[in-house]
Amino acid sequence: MLSGDPGLGMTRLGLVMLSGYTEGTVAYLDVRGWLSPVAAWEVGIDPDRLVIARCHEVVRWGRVAAALLDGATAVMAEIPSGAKDVSIRKLAALARNRGTPLLLRPIDRLVPTGVAHLVLEARETTWTGTAEGHGRIEQRKTRITASGKAMKGMTRTIEMEDDGSNALRVVSGVAAAETRSAAG
Amino acid sequence: MWYPEWPLRKPGVPQDEPGQAVGANGRVEAVNAVAYAAGIRRGMRRGEAEGICPLVTTVERDHSAEMVAFERVVTEVEALVPKVEIVEPGLIFVPVAGAVGYYGGEDLLVERVVKEIDRVAGDGYRIGLADGPFAAKHAAAGTTGDVPFHIVEDDASFLASLDISAIDREEVVATFRWLGITTLGELARLPGSAIASRFGSVGLDAHRLASGRDRLPNPRDLPVDLTVVERFSPPLEDLEQASFVARAMASRLIEALAAVGAAPFRIVIEAEAVDGTTRSRTWRSADPLDDRAIAERVRWQLRAWIDGVGAGIRGGLAALRIEPADLSGVGRQLSLGEDARAASETYRALAEAQAIVGLDGLLQAHPQGGREPGDRVAWHRWGEPPVRARDPEAPWPGRVPGPSPALVPPDPQPFHIEWDRGMPVRVRLGSRWVTVRSWAGPWRRVGRWWKGEEPGDQYQIVTSAGAFLCEIKNGQTWLVGIYD
Repeated sequence: MLSGDPGLGMTRLGLVMLSGYTEGTVAYLDVRGWLSPVAAWEVGIDPDRLVIARCHEVVRWGRVAAALLDGATAVMAEIPSGAKDVSIRKLAALARNRGTPLLLRPIDRLVPTGVAHLVLEARETTWTGTAEGHGRIEQRKTRITASGKAMKGMTRTIEMEDDGSNALRVVSGVAAAETRSAAG
Repeated sequence: MWYPEWPLRKPGVPQDEPGQAVGANGRVEAVNAVAYAAGIRRGMRRGEAEGICPLVTTVERDHSAEMVAFERVVTEVEALVPKVEIVEPGLIFVPVAGAVGYYGGEDLLVERVVKEIDRVAGDGYRIGLADGPFAAKHAAAGTTGDVPFHIVEDDASFLASLDISAIDREEVVATFRWLGITTLGELARLPGSAIASRFGSVGLDAHRLASGRDRLPNPRDLPVDLTVVERFSPPLEDLEQASFVARAMASRLIEALAAVGAAPFRIVIEAEAVDGTTRSRTWRSADPLDDRAIAERVRWQLRAWIDGVGAGIRGGLAALRIEPADLSGVGRQLSLGEDARAASETYRALAEAQAIVGLDGLLQAHPQGGREPGDRVAWHRWGEPPVRARDPEAPWPGRVPGPSPALVPPDPQPFHIEWDRGMPVRVRLGSRWVTVRSWAGPWRRVGRWWKGEEPGDQYQIVTSAGAFLCEIKNGQTWLVGIYD
């Protein structure tokens, strides 16, 4: 799951992850209709391999996501604010059953616990390249916390650099490690 | 023009006893009248047919040998009307627009053709004359031995009465019947968009045929001449050698076409003999031809030229040429690395997603030229060919520099920036205000003033909550993109 306010870079992080699947079709379920394919191309996703489904209706959202999971190599799905927890759980179960990687990007909502194998949450981002009216944005450094089953009860903080290409670099693997007891 | 029983014209197949020809897939591809009367139909499995009529004589299809015999018919028809297109031994399409005028009418043309083919191949032919090949084939199929030709006045009204199974799309025919659509006319009367949303591109294809529009789906222009030519020195004198070369040429052709996302529905095969004579034939298919299908057709045609009527290929084969035509993006052959089953599952799943969200809900995009992030995307529906309005390689001075915002609203959204002495200090995100850390701009945008667009100023605003691309026009601030 990719969590964090719009602007903190989680859409691009998801696209970078999608670009790692070099066979078949990758799909993006766009709830708001805002995804810019230019960003996807910049991280190396072939235009012919990217399919974007636009669906803002909560009722249809789960069915569309399920259909995409059936056919695509990997799916990134925005979750609309009105989506029911049970729909998200079903979808996660379907992804596990199919073995299709599913990246969930909640929009203005929380995701029920226990759904995501790995939760990446953006905490803060800083850009370099701009000054008081000069330059242009060039490089971003984002602080992300990683938690979930994949982290075995640990919460790790990671710093990543992004210059617009798909070479997203982890510059600090464990900037500040915290240990928490695993939640039941 | 169709000889439905052509595959049964072989020694050892009695005409007065039931006979059937079976294809490589084990299905019946041709039956004679006696077998038809016994209940055997084309498309049945061999076992099923033999269960219905245990005494039926079954022959395996041998396209190559059938073509040798059929070459004589093609030659005679081509002597009357040029540009004959062969679909398979026994079935040809002939464009007659010019010939009708030359021979003084459709009836006179048909009469002339019938006279010639009757002389060289006897009866058993069926002739259908229509505006398109789909209607013409069904017109021919609907004729009887007593009146073996049918001239269709209006394709759409002729097709309207045909049974829905005529579209030959097994995957949707049963569902159409279940929905109460039993004829092509009933299908044609439904709106294309409704069919597309329920059945995807297969349904659209069926709707197109039912409406009498059997032109090439999703046509592609040939970007460059992809004709493959091979010259032989010394000349080839053996059919097996020529067939081997044809396979390599077909693979090369399909590979080149795959690079431009196209597949041919028609090919022109041309052979040059050592004495300089050139022979040429056009082959057509209802489905896109792959490399195996092309190589097979070249082999059949070469054998027909060598063993059939005419002068053969004197002195050996000096050159072979395969020219693709009627290119389409539909049904492109998968490359070696592509998994056909996975591709088919992907197609089915995406068609299902398209049926849920509608035609405009499942999209693909390709780069095009433009200054604004939104302008640089050429959207098209999934399953349709991409359309590029502007050259992405052309210089676009003043375009927003990369990296691009990952989120670009289709229409700019109102955005609130607090200014202090001409400098942005805070922006409002939802209900909270965040401090501006740095910014770039203003970048003056003149806009298409000749289209009435207002000039504006663009800024990249960097805050602790992320970076935003915004534009100020007429004193109003708009959010153009989010660097998410």
